[in-house]
Amino acid sequence: MLLTLDSYVIRLYQLTGYALVDFFLGSFILAFTAIIIGEVTSSVAFGAVKKYIETSTDEMVRFQNLSIDALAAGEGATYTACNKLANDAFGKTFFMQVSLSAALLWPVPFVLAWMQSRFSDVEFRLIFTEYSVGYICVFIALYAAAYLIFKRIKRRLPYFREMTVTMAEYRKRSREMKSLADLLPPRDKM
Amino acid sequence: MKRKRWLIIGVMAALAVITIFVLSSSAIAGKLEDAIAQTPKGLEKGMIDQNAPPGFMGIPGAPRTFWLYGILWGVWVGWIFSSVGAFGGIMAGVGHITVFGLADYGGTFKQTSPTLNKLLTDSIRVCNQYLVGLSALISSLTYYRMGRLVLPLGLCLAVGGILGAYLIPVLTAGKINLSMYIGYFGLVVFAVAAVLFYETTPRGQASKKAAKAAAKAFEDAHIRKTTAGSEQAAEWARGVHVTQWGFTRTVFTFYGAEFSFNPVWPIVGGFVIAAISAFIGVGGGFLYVPFLTSVAGLPMFIVAGTSALAVLVSMITSIFSYMFIKSVPVDFVLIGTELIGIFIGSVLGPVTSKHIPEIWLKRLFVVLAVYVGIGYLTKGFLGHSVLPGM
Repeated sequence: MLLTLDSYVIRLYQLTGYALVDFFLGSFILAFTAIIIGEVTSSVAFGAVKKYIETSTDEMVRFQNLSIDALAAGEGATYTACNKLANDAFGKTFFMQVSLSAALLWPVPFVLAWMQSRFSDVEFRLIFTEYSVGYICVFIALYAAAYLIFKRIKRRLPYFREMTVTMAEYRKRSREMKSLADLLPPRDKM
Repeated sequence: MKRKRWLIIGVMAALAVITIFVLSSSAIAGKLEDAIAQTPKGLEKGMIDQNAPPGFMGIPGAPRTFWLYGILWGVWVGWIFSSVGAFGGIMAGVGHITVFGLADYGGTFKQTSPTLNKLLTDSIRVCNQYLVGLSALISSLTYYRMGRLVLPLGLCLAVGGILGAYLIPVLTAGKINLSMYIGYFGLVVFAVAAVLFYETTPRGQASKKAAKAAAKAFEDAHIRKTTAGSEQAAEWARGVHVTQWGFTRTVFTFYGAEFSFNPVWPIVGGFVIAAISAFIGVGGGFLYVPFLTSVAGLPMFIVAGTSALAVLVSMITSIFSYMFIKSVPVDFVLIGTELIGIFIGSVLGPVTSKHIPEIWLKRLFVVLAVYVGIGYLTKGFLGHSVLPGM
């Protein structure tokens, strides 16, 4: 499949005719495309399990808040019990998020595999040092830059606008969780 | 908040600088080519058939994983992640070792080409870690956004974690042969099986029931108390006193209840957990969470994001140590197909968990883990598996 796409993808590296510019520009477009594809699959996957995540998060927030309240009430044993239950509930959401993150990142290895076949010999020497970096380092840096740009424009794009609202609601729910800082008197809070 | 943000940016910048220097371009492809060149050519076992089609990492005649099998195994791993939890990482390793035939293939080079044998071992370790490391990155970003990442504690863990995750690849890459690795992997599978088994025993279930009862009782009493008078609630809020700060012990009390926390523990714990994770090629999240809650006795609030950050930092160090200091190659296509499967599986998990009780799922995985554990232990340390299919 990579071989089939090769003839199309390589065109991204022939846009200006300047090898260095083409390498960075082509890699940036690839990184940006990988982010868009990942964001779409990630939003679909999140939508499919939203209810389950919300239930687990509610349970986690409830026990976490109870544990902090128990601490505030000086009930050490209850704190430990609630903390254990909060941790169990957290385990569910944690591993769910870990596996869901695959939906965002799956295009990256394919891009790297293709770049490996094309640019494994490409090296950039870092100025004032004896070190040089390869295609993986360039792609990771451009992927991070593309992610930051995409994050800024996401809410203006039709499909992602709705997703941003849904995610904001979910995060708000998670923020209802109390922390040890809630035990401090107001003047001591950061 | 601003200070915290600058601290985060500072840490990220430091990581980026380290990354760039560690990412000094290496001869990854060259190392693999050298290992292939050193291997005898021919059609017999332990030789490379140069005319055979390229398989894993482009090695002629190596097992070639059909992309659909990668996805299907990923579905299985993702399903376990979303229904039972940590055991998913173990199963990813089982796929690389057994299902895709890499261990048996690598084992044939034990005598004829030890370099290729060890390179394949390291590659399996890195493939396992890639799956977890990429995910830990996303989790850490999520927790940072949610304000649940406690930087000082995460950094304490990371200090130990970086050391463990750096030292193990540097000291062991290229030195651990496949059979030894499989044996140690079997030991870890047994440890996970023991934890899962405990959770299914009447004692394990009883402690959960007791915890739920205590939480319920407190919830009822607490609601009554807080609705009865906000004065008492305000009185509680005045009761926190940090009695001792220090490098060895930090203590705070609240109305007679004393809680202490030793900053040395996260560093030691981070080192040990990262070392085990890097050696076996797993994430370590399944070790960090119980360590922070049970051993260090910390609240879930701190554990949540901090464990993700600790996993991320040790994963970055470990992957880069393997790939760029020790030049271990990886098969990106295999990782990509598995990631597709993992997110499909993670969607299926909640659907099936409605119909299958969690305790039965755990029992199923205990049986599976014991089978895999015995298979790997005997294969690794006795030279052959006493159980079929391993």
